[in-house]
Order: sequence, then C-alpha cells, then structure tokens
Amino acid sequence: MASDVDTAPLVGRAGQVATLRSALLDDVGPGQTAAVFLTGESGVGKTRLLREVGDGLRAAGALVLTGACLDIGDASPLHPLLQALRRFDADLTASHARTSSAVRGLLQMFAEETGGPDGAGALLERVSRGLHLVAQGRPLVLVLDDLQWVDRSTRQLLLYLLAGLGDLQLSVLAAVRAESLQGAHPLRRVLTELRRLRSVRVLDLAPLDRADTERLAAEIVGGPLGAETAESVWQRSGGNPFVVEELARDLREGRDGLSDTLREVFLARVDALPEPAHAVVHAVAVGVEPVAHWLLAEVTRLPEEELIDAVRAAVAHRLLVGDDDGYRLRHRLVAEVLAHELLPAERSALHRRYAEALTSVPAELHQARLAHHWRLAGEPARALPAAVAAAGEAERLHGYAEAHRHWSVALQLADAPATGASAVDGSLDVDRADLLRHAAEAAHHCGEHARALALLEELATADGAPPVCALHIRRARYLAAAGRSAPAEAEYRRALAAADCTSRERAAAAAHLAELLLHLGRYADAGERAREALELAAEVDGSVSEVVLASMALGFSEAYLEDPDAGLAVMREALATAERSGRPEDVACAYLHLAELLTGPLNILEEGVVVARRGAERVAELGLGRTYETRLLAIATNGLFRVGQWAEAEKVVAAALRHRPSGADAVELLLARCRLWVGYGDIEAADRDLEAVATVLAGGGARHVIPLLTLRAGLAMWQGRHELARQAVQRGLTESRSDDVGILAALVWHGLRAEAEAYASRTVPVDRTAVRRLREVAERVARKSEHAVRSVRDVVDGFLALCDAELSRLDGNSDPALWARSVTEWERRHHPYPAAYSRLRQAEALLARRSRTATAGKLLRQAYQVAQGLGAVPLSTEIRTLASRARVPLEAHGTSVEGRSPADAEPAGTELAALTAREREVLAAVAEGLTNKEIGQRLFISERTIGVHVSHIFDKLQVRTRVQASAIFLRNRPE
Amino acid sequence: MDEPVWGPVHQDIVGLLADHPADVPAVVDHLTKLQDLLVRLPPLERSCPLADFNELYLTITTSVLNGLYDDRFADPVFLARLDVEFAARYFDALRYWTESSPVTPRAWSCLFRRMRGPDARPLPSAAAGVNAHINYDLPFALVTTFDSLESEPVDGSEQHHDYLEINQIFAERIPELRRGYLDNWQLMIDMLNGDIDDWYQGELVEYTRNVAWRNAQKIWRCRHDPEARECERERLDDNAAALGRLLLSPLGAFLQ
Repeated sequence: MASDVDTAPLVGRAGQVATLRSALLDDVGPGQTAAVFLTGESGVGKTRLLREVGDGLRAAGALVLTGACLDIGDASPLHPLLQALRRFDADLTASHARTSSAVRGLLQMFAEETGGPDGAGALLERVSRGLHLVAQGRPLVLVLDDLQWVDRSTRQLLLYLLAGLGDLQLSVLAAVRAESLQGAHPLRRVLTELRRLRSVRVLDLAPLDRADTERLAAEIVGGPLGAETAESVWQRSGGNPFVVEELARDLREGRDGLSDTLREVFLARVDALPEPAHAVVHAVAVGVEPVAHWLLAEVTRLPEEELIDAVRAAVAHRLLVGDDDGYRLRHRLVAEVLAHELLPAERSALHRRYAEALTSVPAELHQARLAHHWRLAGEPARALPAAVAAAGEAERLHGYAEAHRHWSVALQLADAPATGASAVDGSLDVDRADLLRHAAEAAHHCGEHARALALLEELATADGAPPVCALHIRRARYLAAAGRSAPAEAEYRRALAAADCTSRERAAAAAHLAELLLHLGRYADAGERAREALELAAEVDGSVSEVVLASMALGFSEAYLEDPDAGLAVMREALATAERSGRPEDVACAYLHLAELLTGPLNILEEGVVVARRGAERVAELGLGRTYETRLLAIATNGLFRVGQWAEAEKVVAAALRHRPSGADAVELLLARCRLWVGYGDIEAADRDLEAVATVLAGGGARHVIPLLTLRAGLAMWQGRHELARQAVQRGLTESRSDDVGILAALVWHGLRAEAEAYASRTVPVDRTAVRRLREVAERVARKSEHAVRSVRDVVDGFLALCDAELSRLDGNSDPALWARSVTEWERRHHPYPAAYSRLRQAEALLARRSRTATAGKLLRQAYQVAQGLGAVPLSTEIRTLASRARVPLEAHGTSVEGRSPADAEPAGTELAALTAREREVLAAVAEGLTNKEIGQRLFISERTIGVHVSHIFDKLQVRTRVQASAIFLRNRPE
Repeated sequence: MDEPVWGPVHQDIVGLLADHPADVPAVVDHLTKLQDLLVRLPPLERSCPLADFNELYLTITTSVLNGLYDDRFADPVFLARLDVEFAARYFDALRYWTESSPVTPRAWSCLFRRMRGPDARPLPSAAAGVNAHINYDLPFALVTTFDSLESEPVDGSEQHHDYLEINQIFAERIPELRRGYLDNWQLMIDMLNGDIDDWYQGELVEYTRNVAWRNAQKIWRCRHDPEARECERERLDDNAAALGRLLLSPLGAFLQ
C-alpha cells in the first residue's frame, strides 16, 4: 500500500541524525544502555526523525523495534511494546525462523501471564529474557513515538532495562510532545532526573531556521521561491516543517494565498474530498489508531472498491496515511482540526459502529477499545462489561494503575442514568459492591491511597458491603500504606473491638497493629500487642503468618528495649513454627526477620550473615528465589561488607543479581555492590552502579536517595573531585529528614571529610559556610540520637566521632585523641574499614606533631594490614603515601616501603639521577609550589631540614631558583 | 525576529538555560546568575520588570534553602523536590520565550513582553511574576512532585503543613519590599491566589491562599486523562494571564 504519496526530503536535521546514531549505536559498548528523548512541538518532525534514524540503525545491523503509545487514557499495560513486537513479527520473512519463534514466544508469554503478588518484577525479568532471545546478540533499539501517552508499566520497564537490570544491550529512542510536558505530566520529573546521567540525552528539536525553511519549501515546490513567497512561508510556518511542507504543497498546486492557517489548509482539503473519502477520514478520526482495513470497511459500510478509492483520495489529499497494520491520520494536527467538524450525534453513531464491529471480531486491546467506543456511543450498559473485562486484563499484567482507571470507568458507567437503547431494559444489573471492592484494591496497589479510602467509604454504605471488622482492617491497611499511622492505629483498634471479628481476624489485626506501633517507635506498646497476637494466634489453626509477624514485632521491640536474648528466642521460635506448619512465604518471612534482627539492632553480624545465607538457600528450595532470596542475600552482602569480608560480599551480591531484581530490591543490591566498588576504588564500576540506581530512582520514590548521594560523595573524594563531593552532600542535606539520624550522620561525615580533604589538598578552598552548616547538622543529629534506640545511637556515635575528628583536621590541627576515639568506636562495633581509616588519620596527626612516631608506625601498619586484607586500594594507597613521606616501614620485618613511594616508583629522568629519593620527594613538592614550611608539614620533618634538602638540590641540579628546579623536575617527570 | 530576544545577553541566557538545576542549592545559584544577566538587559537594565520578579523569587528561594538547612520543614524531600520542580517551570517558560515558541504560557508572556519596556513599576512587575508562578506553575509543580514521590496531596499531611510554611516565607519576605503598601499588597495576593470568580464571591484570605493547593488536588484527580489535564491547564493559564495583564496595566500601579 502506498504509505505516502511522496515523501518530503529531510531538511536541516543532518546534525541530529548523526548525533542520534552515535548516541544510540556507535557509542554504546557491549552490555551498556543508552537513551535519547526527543522533545519538540507538534509538527516539528519528531516522527519523521524517528523513522529516519530507525532505518539507519537497522541498516547498521541493529535490531529495531518500533511502537507508539496511545492517547486513549485507559490503554492497556505495556501496549507500545506489544505493538512493536507484533509489527516486527509481521515484517519477518521465512528466513528469520529463529527470531520469529523468539518473538512469538515472548508474545505468548504475555498472553499466558497471570496476575498475582510479586508478579510484576518477575514479568520484567521474563520480558528482558525474551528480548534477549529476540536480539540474538545484536544491539537492540526500542523506538517509541508519542511517549507522552506512555502507560506506567511501560515506563517502569524502560527504566528497568535502561538501568541495565535486564542485562541487555539496549538503546531507547523516544519522542515526546513538548506541549504535553508543560502541565503535570509524570514524565517531566523522570526526564529531569534522567537528563543528568551520562547515558541519557534529552534532545530538544527546534523549528527550522529561515534558510532551511526556504530550502525545504523550494525542494517541495521544485524550484526557488520568490522573495515575497519565501517571506510569507516563513512568517506563516515559523519554521515548523510540517506546516512548511503543507504550505509548499499548496503553492505547488497553485493554491497560493488561500489559506492563512494550517486549519484552513486542511479544511479546504477535507472540503475537496469526494463523499466516501470524507466518511473515511472522519471514521479514522473517531477510531483508535491504527484502524485496520477490515474495521474501516465495517464502520464506513463502503463496498471494497469504493473504500479503496476513498482511501486513495484521502491519502492523496495528505489527510491519511496507510501502513501494514492500518490507517492513521497523517498528523496529530489533522486530528485537532477534524475534532470539531462532526456533530455529537455523528460521533456517537460512529463509535457505535466501531463497537459493533469489534464485538464480532476480537482485536488488539479488545476490551479497552470496546469499553471506549460503547461509552462514547452512549451505551453504558454495554460499555460496563467491557470495562470490567479490560480491568481484569490490566491486572493480569500487573498494571494496577490502568486497572484502577478501568474500574473507575466501570463505576461511572454503573452510576450513569440509563439512556438510549439500554433505558428500555431498566437499570443495569451490576454488583456495585463488587466493583467498589475491586476499584479500591486496584487504587491501593497503584498508590492512589486517598482514592482507595474514598472508595472504601462508598463500599461501607453500599448494598452487600463486607462485615464491619473486615472493613476496619482494610481501611487500616490502606491508611498504613499511605503513611497515615495514627488513623491506621485507630482502625486496627476498632477492628479488634468489632463484634463480628473472627479469632483469625483478631490475631491478624493485633499482629499488624504491633508492627505499626513498632514503626511508630512505641516499643513497649508494640510488645504488648505482639504478645496478645501470639496468644490469639495460638488458638487458631493455620495462623502461622500472624505468628511470624507478631514474633517479628516482639523480637524487635525486645531488642530495642535492650533485652536482646528474649527477642531473639521469640524470633527463632517463629522460624521453627513456620518450618513446621507454615506456607513457604511464612518460612521466608521468618528467615528475613531473623536476619534483619541480627544484622540490625543486635549487631551480631557474623551470625546474621550465616542466617541470611542459610535462609537464601532454603527459600530458593521453596521456589521463592526471586523475591526472598534476593532480599536475604542483600542483607548478607551488607553484613559481609561491614565485617570486612569484601571478596565474599562480592560473590553474594553477584548471586543475588542473577535474579534480575527490580524496584527497591534492585536498588538495595546495586547500592550494596557500589559500596564495594567505592571501597575497592573501582571508579568505573562504581559509576555504572550509581547511574543504574539513579535510573531506577527516576521512576519514583525517595528512600534511597541519601545513600546514593553519600556513595557519590565517597567516590568523588577518592578521585580528588572535592567540588563534586560537596555538591552531592549539599543536595543530600536539603533532601533528608532530620529523624533519619543514622543515614544523615554518614552523610555529614562525608561532607566534613570532603572539606578536610579539600583543605589538605590545597587545590580547592574550604567552603566555610558549608562547614558551619555541617557542624549544625552534626549537632542536631547528636541531639536527636539521644532519643533513638541503642542500635541507632551506636551507629550515629561512630560517625559523630569521625565528624569531630575531621573538624579538628579542618582547623589545621588534626587531633590524634579524637581519631583514637573514632578507632575505639568502630572497633567496638567490629567495623574494620572505618577503624582502619581512623588509624591512618590518627597516625597522620601524630606524625604532624612529631610525637610518638613509634605509635604512628604501629597504627599505620595495622591500618595497612586491614586495608590490604579488604582489598581497599585507595585507602592502602593513602596509607602507603603517608608511610613513605614519614619513612615508616609498613612490612612486618622492617623492610622499608620507600621503594614504592610515588616519587620513586617511576624511573626518574637522567637529570634527576643525582638526587636521593628524599630529595626527589622534596623537589616534587617544590614543583607543586609549596613553601618549605608546607613541605615540612607534608613530610613530617622540620622546615630547616627542608631548607638543607633544597640547597643540596640546587647544587646538584646547578640551578639558583625554585622555578628553575621545578622546570627540570617537570621536564623529567615520567608521563 | 532579527534581533535576539535577550539582546546583548542573549548567548549568556541561552547558555544558562541549557542547564537544568536538580537541587535547591543549584536553583539558588541559577537564579543568582540570571539576576546578574537580567539587570544588564537594555534599555531598562536595573528597572527590568522581570529582574524585579527574579530578585523577589531569589530572596524567597534562598529563604527556603536556609529553611531546609535549618530543619524548618517536616518533609524536606517533598519540599526540596517541589522547589526544584517549581523553579523548573519558570526556567521552562524563559526557555520557550527565548525560542519564541508558541507554547510559552500566556501567564508568563504578558510579563516577558514588557522586558524591553515601557518601564513598569517594580511592585506590580514582581506581583505579575508571582501571579504567573503561583497561579499557573505551582499546581502543576505540586502534582509532578507528588507523582514522583509516590505520594499524594492530602489535607493536613506533613507535606501540606510544609506547603503552608512556604506561604509564611512569602509573607515574611514580601512586606520587606514595601511595608507601607502592605494592605494593597495583601489584597492583591489574595485576589491573585484565586480565580476571579472565587474572589468576587468574597471568599476569605485563608481560603484563597489554598487555591493552588486545591487546583493541584483537582489536577491530581484527572492527571491520567490527557484531555482533562490539558483543559485544566488552559483554564489556569487563561486566568493567570488575565490577572497578569491587569497587574501590568495602569491599574496595577495602585499597588505602588
């Protein structure tokens, strides 16, 4: 079919085509991801550019899938991907049997997906595996048009794949209408966060400039334009290529001067259409694009021959385009022009015909489209079952946001006064309570808490409402999810007091209430409720879940109230109960809580790690690997990191990531792994994980932002990029809650350390305002942590000890006593890494005061041994540098490490051959522009000794000034 | 079209706007740099109407930043994101205007148009900016922020409390401009915060201050429906533009 009568040339976009090609293919390494979001106003040529670039990438060997999002507000989850796969499959020829079967396998997977808890993450994993098979090692490019209408599931899928969690080399090219981003579009915030990443670009497509406008018009007209005509095309189009093209075509066909606006251009064309073509254009405008040929035939009721003629005429008048999968209006702007051309009655008649035609033949998005058309045809009774079916369809694919919209439409339809044909049948036969129940649950699942609660209120007064106790429990659940703890607590209490409450419900309510109180920090109350729940549960068979939950609440509350043994015993007992008679989920939860209890408040790390790993094996046997094994291994990884078994932690985190987790689980693991990379000093790997975390977090949520920023700061410091570290900390300070004292304390230490490093390096001035603020936050943290539980206070104390010590370093008078205190704090908690860092600084402080050099040497050796054992490269390097400056031997048998000092490590040029190692060190410092006093401080020797060294250097090099000496040093510096 | 929109500082402003600040310290930095450029814009220079607004906005945002550092808010994550998103809309409007884009919000273009003269009184100019920013940008910034935090606008929540705290900052800072005209100013702010209809219905001060919040709740409910959302946007843009024009008309001078 002729998709285009003649295609206009692509003018003025050569630069963008090249940029996109390299960003999406040439610059993307194996296993990496990239994305370009193309924004621009309607008609600026986004779709055209997508096509051009897509074709180019295909020709270059990439596998290109193209889809478009739909503007019916209730489209189904993952629609653009499904559409892209179907289109791709249709284009495959017989020679691609393997690819084709992979595509069909993936489509089949979607067809067979069944909804259920935790299924959304598993679906993402399966989609990425399926795409892997389809790609067969080729780079995969996903081209998506009209992304402003993207559904939530597709949005999450894109972020998941771009974060590299799908383990797929993937590029995404998507177009977004700039106008749509103006209001409250969910993509706005996503793009703000993504555009900061290295792998993502947001490209704003501007209108053509005057010269390109004229070139485009001239190409279409087929010859140069007169000055006046060129001016008028420029004035009317403002450089919008779509408008330029249409105006130029009118010019070529001699209709110059007739139409001033695009609207007039198109209305004139519509008027010029023969009657059947007129009908075709309006029918497509009312339909959901693309409108298949058979469907258009049914709706227009035109005989085949006539229909084909009509379509041809509409295409020739540039109102319609045809493709393999059906017809679309040529442009969104055409749809806007046509929108006001039909009478309401005409529109609803067309909708009715669509609905009737679709009823007889199932098609893509079947139920959603049926609901859409019947509703707009004014037939609520017929739209209702379709809306219900569409909601079920969406839930099957875990698209609760879409499902919620369908349920809401269904409710509206159920409430609508019956009109038209259905009025004859009287009122609709629906179970309103059932609709409300579903709608509320879907709203709860997609985070529309207020709406879920409002629906629940309606449900409470509807016929067939659930019993009182069940309603209270549900309301409490919704309130707790919305973070409204106080009213949630009241609801649980009402549930417990309700007359119709069964023993099972009572046990559940008490257990949940205990959990809630735990989060509210009311440990004594929580313990009391948990005991009550355990008693209640003991009377009811099969209430293991309640036992596990209540034991967790009791265990933690005991631990917080500083009776660790009692709490631990309860939790161990719960695990035994779960193993004896619980469901697999109960066993998994019990392991999870026990491991959290040990590694969290009790700080019994080694045992916690053992429990977490044993639990991970057990839940994998039980078939819950994806969800619970991942979480248990995350706990094990963090525990191993803290006790200093980094190599083991690395293995465990790799095993956990094999499940390709998504969402918060993935973020948790990536942060854990990144912590290792930062410790190892593997900058590239750390950077990659930070980008991945930022990509996932762009989709929403804020819980992990501070740990992310803390790691960013830590990484920047090892790179000597103090400015960057400072920025990350600043952002963190403005975005963290003051009651998250543990997280905040770590951040503040990073901030103070960054300033202290800046001070020590002399490359960046210290930001005194920042220091003042950090000091204030540290004081606030100290104040607040007084009321925190013991385990939190311990962590905070460790970081605050570091903060105090860094502050003394900032004053130019690093205090060995403060560093010693920090060593003690961290040793006490068995965290070797921060303890080693503190030892390094303590030694540095002692050396600077030129006192107790022997102690300093011992400290350095201890720190060095730990750092080497961990594999902490940057920390080891710092220790070595300091040791060589102070001439402290690091190896056990007194072998000096001087041979490895930076100034000595590289072969020196011949001119420097006469100098001793120490003189070379001094000369390096001279070349940095340091004074003798500063060099003395750095090398821990007196200023006078430096003077002696310098004069020796001058003699040996036969120079008279520091500048000359520096010049020789720089000339001979190894590259 | 021949002379660049921003005259001699055009390239500087284009360069500045190419950057998208992602946190509150960066927003303050951005506004400071913008202020330095705006006061160099001929022919009005120091009396550029946009500079009047920008200065006020910079003052307020700096207060917000200090509030964040000083632990003034219950939910700083929310407030920091809101502040960034709110500012992004002002920068977007400037960007659209720079590109002479037809989608520049009308609420803003009535002020931008006055940049090159004739001279306008500083107070009405700043008020026109506040009008566009609060009546048009704020509801959308709220919705986007809640959406990204997976939260929602609920009356009486921590976020709502923080939001009202910002009103407090406005109230603290605005009278500094011209204490003697407080009453007129108050009247104007109250009027600005509401639709003209609401104002004529004689609703109270407290109520009108909450209009942006309520508009956000309204948009929140229809945020998944592109058509309804766009309809709401048009409505807010029209209202804010009408008020903006009124402020910049000779009538607005009564504020001074």
